[in-house]
Amino acid sequence: MPREETSEFELEMPAQAKYVGLARLLAGSIARRMRFSEESIDDLKIAISEMCTNAIVHTGNGDATKPPILVRYLAGDGFLTIEVRDRGPGFDPACVLDREREDLLGKGFGIPLIRSLVDVFECDSRPGSGTVISITKFVEEG
Amino acid sequence: MVEEERGGTVLDVEVGSVGGRSLIALSGEVDVYSAYKLRETVKNLVEEGHYDLVVDLEKVAFLDSTGLGVLVGGLKRVRNHGGELSIICNQEKILRIFRITGLTKVFPIYASREELQAKVEEA
Repeated sequence: MPREETSEFELEMPAQAKYVGLARLLAGSIARRMRFSEESIDDLKIAISEMCTNAIVHTGNGDATKPPILVRYLAGDGFLTIEVRDRGPGFDPACVLDREREDLLGKGFGIPLIRSLVDVFECDSRPGSGTVISITKFVEEG
Repeated sequence: MVEEERGGTVLDVEVGSVGGRSLIALSGEVDVYSAYKLRETVKNLVEEGHYDLVVDLEKVAFLDSTGLGVLVGGLKRVRNHGGELSIICNQEKILRIFRITGLTKVFPIYASREELQAKVEEA
């Protein structure tokens, strides 16, 4: 089987809730072209929705004067990586586990939900320098 | 396919009744942009004294953790008044999110309005 070329797409969007659907739509379209199953496409749409929602909340929660969010889609040979980068205040990545616990205790279900729907979850954040959350999902064999 | 409404996600909310309870029927996508419509509807119903609510998700094409958070908030609100918030849903893709987050143990979930009606009549 010939290896497929890697394609990269970028979406720079204002940190506003009304644009989350657009990021989701693009993720669904790319995943469908890559022949992900419908269930995996749903998983990716939920994951990117969570990632963008987190980024918006941490970048001024809809304040139009705040810096935009960058969403990067990397469609490779059998995998799709989506990276959401914000220029919010950032946090100590060691706190992710604490945030998960906090999420499950009532502030939301975001990060645990993302983790359960994708194959790889990575978070890079430092106080003062924004946050990059990256997920990868592999196309199912067969 | 996502429909657009002023550049954002479309969510239609209709209020009715089923089995003697207040019914909130959702149609469209529930996310950070649209979830306020559900939140406001629940809040208004509770303020009007409706404490037994049913949210019908059968026509929901997408639901994320913001939507789940609004449902959990609504549940807490009605339980403060001795009420209950039930879910109607038979879509695997939505039910899976409830299972992953453990919310199948929190909400009474019915496959259809008919099933809920039958349970109410049994009780």
